[in-house]
Amino acid sequence: MPQFESSFFSSLIFWEVISFGILFFVLYKFAFPGILGILEEREKKIKDSLDQAERHRADAERALKEYEAKLSAAAKEAEGLLAAAKERAQRLLDENEQRLTAEAERIKGDATREIDHERRKAVQEIRNQTTELALLVAEKVVQRSLTDADHRKFADEALEALSKAHS
Amino acid sequence: MEESPLHAFELHNYIPLSIGGMDISINKAVILMWIVVALAAVLMIMAGSARRLVPGKLQNLAEMLVDFIRGIILDTMGKDGMRFFPLIASLFIFILFCNLLGLIPGSYTVTSQIVVTAVFACLVYGLSLVMGFILHGAKFLGILVPPGTPGWLLPLMIPIELISQLARPISLAVRLFANMTAGHVILGVLFGLAISGGVLIGWLPFAFTIAMNGLEVGIAFIQAYIFTVLTCVYLGDAFHLHGHDDHAH
Repeated sequence: MPQFESSFFSSLIFWEVISFGILFFVLYKFAFPGILGILEEREKKIKDSLDQAERHRADAERALKEYEAKLSAAAKEAEGLLAAAKERAQRLLDENEQRLTAEAERIKGDATREIDHERRKAVQEIRNQTTELALLVAEKVVQRSLTDADHRKFADEALEALSKAHS
Repeated sequence: MEESPLHAFELHNYIPLSIGGMDISINKAVILMWIVVALAAVLMIMAGSARRLVPGKLQNLAEMLVDFIRGIILDTMGKDGMRFFPLIASLFIFILFCNLLGLIPGSYTVTSQIVVTAVFACLVYGLSLVMGFILHGAKFLGILVPPGTPGWLLPLMIPIELISQLARPISLAVRLFANMTAGHVILGVLFGLAISGGVLIGWLPFAFTIAMNGLEVGIAFIQAYIFTVLTCVYLGDAFHLHGHDDHAH
């Protein structure tokens, strides 16, 4: 086998030692620190990122819980407000109705009273005029024969009859 | 003209050189080593200097590679093993690039040279021995005695363990060399068949050559991986003697 030709051994060993020595030195000095460093850095970065993600998740969860609590509180408050508003509206409605009813009642009462008053006035007027008229007529009929006492007597009788007829 | 399938492994000196009587001539394998070093260094430095949090393709690939090796080290040696990371990663990258570049037709597979794999194996095993003796002193010899061995078995166990220890660098070197060599021999034989078969029948071995080349890419990765894992295991053994520091005697 050509590999056992010992004449090449010395140069192969020499150059192998030199080559490997150079490669070892170069990699040791310039390549490995960078690569190992970045590997460690990345490991750290990934770990940090995972931790951070975990923290963010916890934050988000807490925020969600807070939000939900606020939401339900707001819903409760809205419900309360709505009920209060309804109640108020009902009360206003009722008050208005009562007030209007009372007003109508009052107007009606006023009107009735006015009508009554006018009626009475009219009756009184009619009665006065009738009395005068009757006196006039009676005077004409019994001009001479009647005394003042007679006049009064007749007038009273007539008035009596009139009021009886009226009431 | 029939070519030997081993022809591809032959080396020729392009530029004869020598230092103090030692021949260090430049041949194809040496040039391939330079290309491997240049390519690996440029790619890894580019990937390492990008330093983007969201990586690009090259950075992603380099990070996968680095993370892969880090995973192997952490699995076999634990956190202490990370101090060997630069060495083990460089070894993996060097071997992987040698294996892969060797698959390009016309290039040369550096790792199919037994001396090359032997040097790496001796480096790794020697380092594990040195580390073991530094960390544990003479107690490191206890690696020859599996925990729980009764005293009367020691004369038997110590030679067996000694052989198993010595087999480590040899198997490490031979495994990589043999896998790379065998793969290229098969490719060479198949391609030789394709050439000599002509158009009528030659397409069949040619198709096999292509399929085998795909398989060899996988083997290039697997062998680099195995070499790295075993490196970690041996260094880990030296680190944690029997899994802990006290051992049965």
